[in-house]
Amino acid sequence: MMSKGKKFFMYAFLTIFSLLSIFPLYYMFCAATNKSIDVIAGKLIPGTYLIENYKSLIANQNLGLALWNSFRNSFILTVLCLLVCSIAGYGFEIYHDKGKDAVFTVLLTAMMIPFAAVMIPMFRMFSSLNMVNTMAAFMLPSISTPFMIMMFRQASRSFPHDIIEAARIDGLSELAIFFRMFFPTMRSTYAAAMTIVFMNAWNNYLWPKVILMTNESITMPMLVANLLGGYTVDYGMLMLGVFICTIPTAIVFFCLQKSFAEGITGAVK
Amino acid sequence: MKRKLISALLALTMVISMTACGGGSGASGDSGSGDAAADDGGAAADAGTDAAADSGAGQEDAAPVEGGSADENTLTVWTWDPNFNIYAIQKAAEIYAQDHEGFKVEVSEVQSDDIETRLTTAVAAGDLSTLPDIFLMQDNSFQKYATNYPDIFTDLTSSGIDFSQFSSAKVAYSTLDGKNYGIPFDNGAVINCMRTDYLEEAGFTIDDFTDITWSDYMEKAKVVLEKTGQPILTSQAGSPDLIMMMLQSCGSSLFNEDGSVNIAGNEELKQMMDIYVQMVADGTLVEVTDWDQYIASLNNGTAVSALNGCWIMASITVAEDQSGKWAITNMPKLDGVSNATNYSNNGGSSWAISSNCQKVDLAIDFMNSTFAGSNALYDDVISKGALATWAPAGESEAYNESVEFFGNDAIYAKIVEFATHTPSNITGAYYYDARDAVGVALSNICQQGADIDSEIQTAQETVEFNMGG
Repeated sequence: MMSKGKKFFMYAFLTIFSLLSIFPLYYMFCAATNKSIDVIAGKLIPGTYLIENYKSLIANQNLGLALWNSFRNSFILTVLCLLVCSIAGYGFEIYHDKGKDAVFTVLLTAMMIPFAAVMIPMFRMFSSLNMVNTMAAFMLPSISTPFMIMMFRQASRSFPHDIIEAARIDGLSELAIFFRMFFPTMRSTYAAAMTIVFMNAWNNYLWPKVILMTNESITMPMLVANLLGGYTVDYGMLMLGVFICTIPTAIVFFCLQKSFAEGITGAVK
Repeated sequence: MKRKLISALLALTMVISMTACGGGSGASGDSGSGDAAADDGGAAADAGTDAAADSGAGQEDAAPVEGGSADENTLTVWTWDPNFNIYAIQKAAEIYAQDHEGFKVEVSEVQSDDIETRLTTAVAAGDLSTLPDIFLMQDNSFQKYATNYPDIFTDLTSSGIDFSQFSSAKVAYSTLDGKNYGIPFDNGAVINCMRTDYLEEAGFTIDDFTDITWSDYMEKAKVVLEKTGQPILTSQAGSPDLIMMMLQSCGSSLFNEDGSVNIAGNEELKQMMDIYVQMVADGTLVEVTDWDQYIASLNNGTAVSALNGCWIMASITVAEDQSGKWAITNMPKLDGVSNATNYSNNGGSSWAISSNCQKVDLAIDFMNSTFAGSNALYDDVISKGALATWAPAGESEAYNESVEFFGNDAIYAKIVEFATHTPSNITGAYYYDARDAVGVALSNICQQGADIDSEIQTAQETVEFNMGG
């Protein structure tokens, strides 16, 4: 039993820290409902200017298109990435080969190279393949990432080999073992991975900005950047844009919150 | 509870997406009704730009832009800011289309930094085919790109555009080795925007701050602080903007003609840093943390004036309740410096025609008849705060109208006139390196009390190191 004083301090501490973490979100919401000039003045209560901000946002930027593009790109990318990386991670752990550790080391080294260093060669590659301005050019570089492969390899380590042996004896093919035994058991790892991949895909800015040059391929982060570009910034409109941009990742995180924690700590109990 | 929250969020997203789509089609619906008689291509394009301009947007009428457009009568453009540059180029297209049936521009909204990233990427990848026909470039970056990547520009020297009609300081930004690579666009002439109510409280008028020197200014600033309790200036901490403006006002630069660094031993620079540091010490110049705080200080009345490029007016006029309480004059000049003037420049940009442009004649003719030859265009874009550097524009009626917000003064003509007095400066390929080094020196001096001479020496060495020699 905790003493009353201890409990009080614990609650006070937790309250302060939760307020600190919630405050930016609250501020974002307030700013989205206020006039630019009030945001500047530091108004901290929700205002009545939400509709006007929204109207100027859709008059200024193609919000519907940006949302749709971001959703489509992130969704397809997430599905493909999870599939490819989980198979790769599974393969690295389950099958034995002399060269696999060397290959894995190369993969991990690739993780250390910053994106800015490979951006120009990559652009050159895609432009010589005539793939500039295509969705595939946006997705291909992130479909297989060393980090995801490593994450799935780590997770596969805890997957009991006995299950695989038993399944083989019962006559399941290797592919079927992956999809029917591994996949359902590792659900929480997939959930964790999905959160990470989706957020990265949703928030990706530099690469899409370079490879997708048309107005038609605008994504949400590009839209938010456009709101900041002028000589004058409408802060109410800007914060509304940021707010709308945040909602989808928030949904994904809330939906998968429980599995996320499980997936990070290890899927098989 | 969690489930409810998730469903609420989901519903919200769906509603936003749906209404956003509805909004978009609504706007393009306007483009049809905007000009009902529009059934030929030219007028339809016209209506498209109209509607887009009306809503301040550039998205509705834009077809895919991959490098240059295949259509004979269409030019592709990269630029930023729907309320300013995009508006201006669409307005220009509209004016040009009146005499050239079927002409239109396809605008891609790209931020200035991103335009630079894309240009660098395209050059490094050796594939210039992705470039648009026309792009806008910040004046401060122009020399860097013209020096390092001259291949991306079309040389406009003998294009027939009369560059002598623009202010010479402005043309200098886009000129390299006597070749013109850009068509000047918006004006960055420095204005001293002052709150007349505060000045009155301190016993001054705007005339007391016109054509004065910095020493006079600093004395008056102390009086203003004493009487009103407000600092005369605010500045973003570590931002060398003010120093750069002062430097240009006496025709001095951080580089010499031959491209060598001119920081150590630059007497003007030292004098300016002394002024800045002294004003911070006096409390007449308050440093704020970031740009947003700077704008806030102007809108909230915690600064008596703003000394900046004339585009700052757009941020000042947001505070409608301060209408009539502002006035504009020129900036102070340095004491004892032979070339010192009361005029300078900060910001602004110029249009460039890319080397990938397949319709160079069309692009040049378009530019020549609009940004370098249309009073109608400049009269219109003035409503967005975009001021011309094209001298004939200053003579039109729109520029001589009085503006209520600024005490019924004909500020536009005034600013165009300021621009013509501005001395030109040398930006060079390493402008931003030099600027940043001066910024670092300034914040070390102000915040850590470092020695001015040694900081200036360090700045000189930093820039020389960055230049590889």
